[in-house]
Amino acid sequence: MEKFFQRKVTVTLKYIIVALVSAILLMLIESSFAKREYAISAFLTVGLIAIAITYLTNFSIPMKFFLPGMLFLFAFVVGPILYTVAMSGFHFQTGNYISKPESITQIISGGIRPDAAQTTFDVVIGEDPGKKLEILASDPTNKKYFLSTATSKTDLDPAGLAIDGNGDATVAPGFTALTPSEQAAQDKALGSTRFAYSTDFFITIEGGNVASLKEQSLKYDSSTDTFTNVLTHAVYRDNGRGNFTNIKDKNDQLQPGWRAPIWFENYTKLLTDPQIRSALIPVFIWTIVFASLTVLTQFALGLLIAMTLNRKLHGRRIYRSILILPYAMPSIMSILIWGGMFDTEFGAINHLFGSHVHWFQSALYARLAVIIVNLWLGFPYFYLICSGALQAIPAELSEAAAIDGASSRQIFRKITLPLLLQVVSPLLVASFAFNFNNFNIIYLLTGGGPQNTLGGAVAGSTDILISYTYKIAFSAGNQNLGLASAISVVIFVIIASISLYGIRRSKVLDSFK
Amino acid sequence: MIQRKFGKVAALTVAAGLISGFVSAPVHAASNTIIVWADETRGPHLQQVIAAKGDWVPGYTIKIVPFSSFDALNAAFGNATALTGPDIVVGANDWVSTGAKNGKLAPVTLSSSVRANFTANNLFDLSYKGVLYGVPLDVNNVSMLYNSKLTGKPGTLTQMVKFYLANKSADKLTAGLCVAGGGMSWGAESVLNALGGAPYVMTASGTVDPTADPVPAATVAANIKRLFLGANGKSNGFFPATDTGCKTAFLAGTVPYAIIGNWEWQDYAKAGFDMNNLMPVPGLNHGKFGSAYASVSGAMLTTFAAQHGVDQGAKSLLNNFFGSSAGAVAYQNVELRPPANKKAQKNASVTAAQKGFGKAGAVAGLPQIGAILNGAAGSKSFWDLLPAFWTDVLVNGKDPQTSAAAMDAFFKTNIAAGIPQL
Repeated sequence: MEKFFQRKVTVTLKYIIVALVSAILLMLIESSFAKREYAISAFLTVGLIAIAITYLTNFSIPMKFFLPGMLFLFAFVVGPILYTVAMSGFHFQTGNYISKPESITQIISGGIRPDAAQTTFDVVIGEDPGKKLEILASDPTNKKYFLSTATSKTDLDPAGLAIDGNGDATVAPGFTALTPSEQAAQDKALGSTRFAYSTDFFITIEGGNVASLKEQSLKYDSSTDTFTNVLTHAVYRDNGRGNFTNIKDKNDQLQPGWRAPIWFENYTKLLTDPQIRSALIPVFIWTIVFASLTVLTQFALGLLIAMTLNRKLHGRRIYRSILILPYAMPSIMSILIWGGMFDTEFGAINHLFGSHVHWFQSALYARLAVIIVNLWLGFPYFYLICSGALQAIPAELSEAAAIDGASSRQIFRKITLPLLLQVVSPLLVASFAFNFNNFNIIYLLTGGGPQNTLGGAVAGSTDILISYTYKIAFSAGNQNLGLASAISVVIFVIIASISLYGIRRSKVLDSFK
Repeated sequence: MIQRKFGKVAALTVAAGLISGFVSAPVHAASNTIIVWADETRGPHLQQVIAAKGDWVPGYTIKIVPFSSFDALNAAFGNATALTGPDIVVGANDWVSTGAKNGKLAPVTLSSSVRANFTANNLFDLSYKGVLYGVPLDVNNVSMLYNSKLTGKPGTLTQMVKFYLANKSADKLTAGLCVAGGGMSWGAESVLNALGGAPYVMTASGTVDPTADPVPAATVAANIKRLFLGANGKSNGFFPATDTGCKTAFLAGTVPYAIIGNWEWQDYAKAGFDMNNLMPVPGLNHGKFGSAYASVSGAMLTTFAAQHGVDQGAKSLLNNFFGSSAGAVAYQNVELRPPANKKAQKNASVTAAQKGFGKAGAVAGLPQIGAILNGAAGSKSFWDLLPAFWTDVLVNGKDPQTSAAAMDAFFKTNIAAGIPQL
């Protein structure tokens, strides 16, 4: 009986959870579909169907455990990777950010300009007797008043109007003013209506009671996919790279442009563009050196401390607790504190040693500072790993070697280290992969600098691939997200290869055979 | 059995879906809500002002969304889409060219009475290719503050250097003049200008002079050698090549002169510094000063406003609140930065610091032109060049004339590429 009730409760709970998750997914599907995010909508729909099949049937029992993880993996790992790969094939940079239809819409709406005198009118927004949008416009300086709809303009005699202290007309025959909430309800219509003024000019509303005189300067012809400047007669055509360009002057482009496919150009640029290539090669070399030195120094110090504290020592627990602190402290805080300590004029390090080293202005010292700070941040990890691993090595092996006459150095080199490396090798590889992409330390400590900008350098002396990519993608002047995506894909391939090597070496996958 | 399960779950799902659909309103579900994004100081202050008086645009609700930092705001706006983006963003003037190019900012036309509240330079700061994208909000500038416990008001840069070298040991000075606010490019521009250089030269009519030499290498190099370098060809300690630690050292009384930002003057006032000691960086001759950027931050209209159906409301908010004197006074009484609005500048409630920064900007101000400063393709941005210049001449001991000439060449390229975009 008790079992029966237990089962009923768990089944009911399952229904409730599945229903709630499905409801949330349904809401997100509806919302993303409404926002025209069709890819997201499709993914969520597939997820919803997969959940229904998995948890309401006995189609696959293991899938009941794997499905949530798999959905998250696709959403937050596979999806972004595929998106990055896709974007690396586009001309996607400052000025080429949106889609072509959006670009055309914005060029059309931006293709109107104020008249030379930047004339504005004080207006009251309302409706004509036929309930069509109408404005009662005032030009108090010239004492001119008129009513205007999308199709007609009627000049008014001031004598027949109610005029306020500012000289603005507030009431006119046949004109009904809208209340603020009625205006708010008609926001879109007010924004898109062009009120009649003259053959060449029209009026647009620029907020509640202000309107300005405008003229159309650019016209779009969808049949030829061209824009024409009606004032200069210049014709702008799609240049195949995300911009409408003047057919007589390729430097004259309309903005905004759009993301246009350029396939593998961003990848070929990495090899053929001298400016990019000249920066990438030293950055790549430093990335390898930085990651290797970091792993080596962290491992060496961690091992040294682990071996020291592996012996009986007075106050060993206190030492161990203290040594964990750099690891326990948020790295962002540590890096910023170290940054201040390395300052030339005001930093503690120069004060302590009585030196005047320009840590962050010299390439050599800046690199040294990066390695030192990363050593501080990372050695406790290797200390913990090595402590565990050392305790797992049977003491009998060392004792036997010692009886056979081996020195401490020989025992370490021939027994301890090989056994230790067997355990920690995959972790060393993983650490290398992590540091290959260690953006935080570079960005927060040196910002990639120093950079010989006056000498033409594009990247900083301590820039690693990921920080250099960040600069390309998010620099103030010209963000090149397409190129940054291409470099990210290259980094991904390198890291994936290293990780695969690490996994194979650790034989983790063997257990699945 | 399976059909029954499906039936139950389907019924539950539909019910829950409907409920959640009603409960969870999308970002812009309320069509009359104007969303304004601002940084960590302006955001909460705007919230405070709007909470006190929320009817700046009748018929609409105003919602201010503050971000944790200016950089966070910049990043969020860079990634904003119609789904997530604001209707108005309060940001730096050098966002205008990028925002306009990327189709995120929309043009605005202000009423003549609102335009009259601002200087032509302020409106120019928020324009791209002659089109205005927002309303100036507050003046962004730095000014030099001298420590009157250590020294008097300096007349020239030469006097400042002499004071430092003479009192360096006795007063245990760690530097003479350092940059506490704005960094070694934006904040230190006035020092370059005091030495005779500039990123571009403005004509009397307020336009960029395309023919002028921005950094006359021989002059700038001679001044640097005379004032900033020691016998070994490296820094004599007067002007550090980095800004790290400057604020702390100045507050501790080991630096007599510091360039501070107008967004943090209260830190100095609280430490007992007199805000009447604010002044532009002195030049080489009496009465001459190094011009600092006196740009404006602005409230800018986004293209998302039209997509959210609040374009007219957002434009009204720009005119009625951000552009009006009443709005500027109400806001700057809380924000305590120099207001861009001319009438608000004269308001009695404006503090000595606000006036001090405002005066420094008026005496020696340089418009900040992103289209030139951000750099052209194949060139470098001003933001990277000036720090590199300081490092080269003050730290690495490179020949100042060679470095100045190299910087000059980059500046000229940027000017040539930037002018057509103005």
